[in-house]
Amino acid sequence: MATLLSLVVVFAFAPAGNWQMTDKYTVRFAGGGEVGGIFKTMKGSIVFDEQNLAASNFDLSIDVASINTGNGLMNTHAKSAEWFEAAKYPVIRFTSKKIVKNGVAYQVTGDMEIHGVKKELTLPFSFQNKGATGIFSGTFTINRSDFHIGKPGGDVEENIKLDISVPVVKK
Amino acid sequence: MLKRLLLLGIVSGVLAGIVALIYQKVYSSSVGADFSAIAKPVGIMISNIVGCLIAAVGYWILSKWLKGKTEIVFNFIFMILSFASMLPAFAAKLPLDVASPELFPGLVIPMHFFPALAWFTLEPLFIKNTD
Repeated sequence: MATLLSLVVVFAFAPAGNWQMTDKYTVRFAGGGEVGGIFKTMKGSIVFDEQNLAASNFDLSIDVASINTGNGLMNTHAKSAEWFEAAKYPVIRFTSKKIVKNGVAYQVTGDMEIHGVKKELTLPFSFQNKGATGIFSGTFTINRSDFHIGKPGGDVEENIKLDISVPVVKK
Repeated sequence: MLKRLLLLGIVSGVLAGIVALIYQKVYSSSVGADFSAIAKPVGIMISNIVGCLIAAVGYWILSKWLKGKTEIVFNFIFMILSFASMLPAFAAKLPLDVASPELFPGLVIPMHFFPALAWFTLEPLFIKNTD
């Protein structure tokens, strides 16, 4: 009886819209010309309810070492001290603080931590709700110099375009 | 002379191709990285044969000019070109769904020397007292 009561309590207070990321997510980046690639590994938790944005939140982390530019030398270079310094800062982390509706899409404000630098950013995203499944997607740019990534100038543009798609299933 | 050189080109190209395919198999199984979708067996075979046929034509052209010093000059050029041809392998940008691109040069760079090695191995059987 006590167990049953506990279960009822747990489910009653569980946040609505708990989503589990599938392994079909993509995190692409492009920095001009030949510069571009993906991060292969991302994990985190997604609590999202279109009817209750105040209770929604994202906590995502990307494994820096999973970067793949398609070229071995560029991968090694990207993980080096000059760029992401993967050994010292192994993850890129985004923790949301606030999610608001923006037309048919949304905006999430939160702390982005890259290369040991934490900065508050507001990022646009959309959500396709398909009932038990859904897809979060967002395209935005990040100024790499804000996070002390690489030297200014050179072949890599200052503004790095990120294109993220995260298919999810309801927990 | 040209006929024998072209035959040498084909045979050494086939030998280099076979060695390259064996090397690809051994490399893939030992490091666990499969690049067969990029370095396709047919492509490996054709590029080795074409490379050795070009070498055959090159040898023939050099022999017209250099007479007695053809072999030493040809071997030197063949090795320099083999060495130079491996450099683009470092710059190759593979499809993003291919894992561990840093292992790709380890596969293809040795392959760039197989045509020259096969040529040098078989050359005495095809070219005798030409200079």
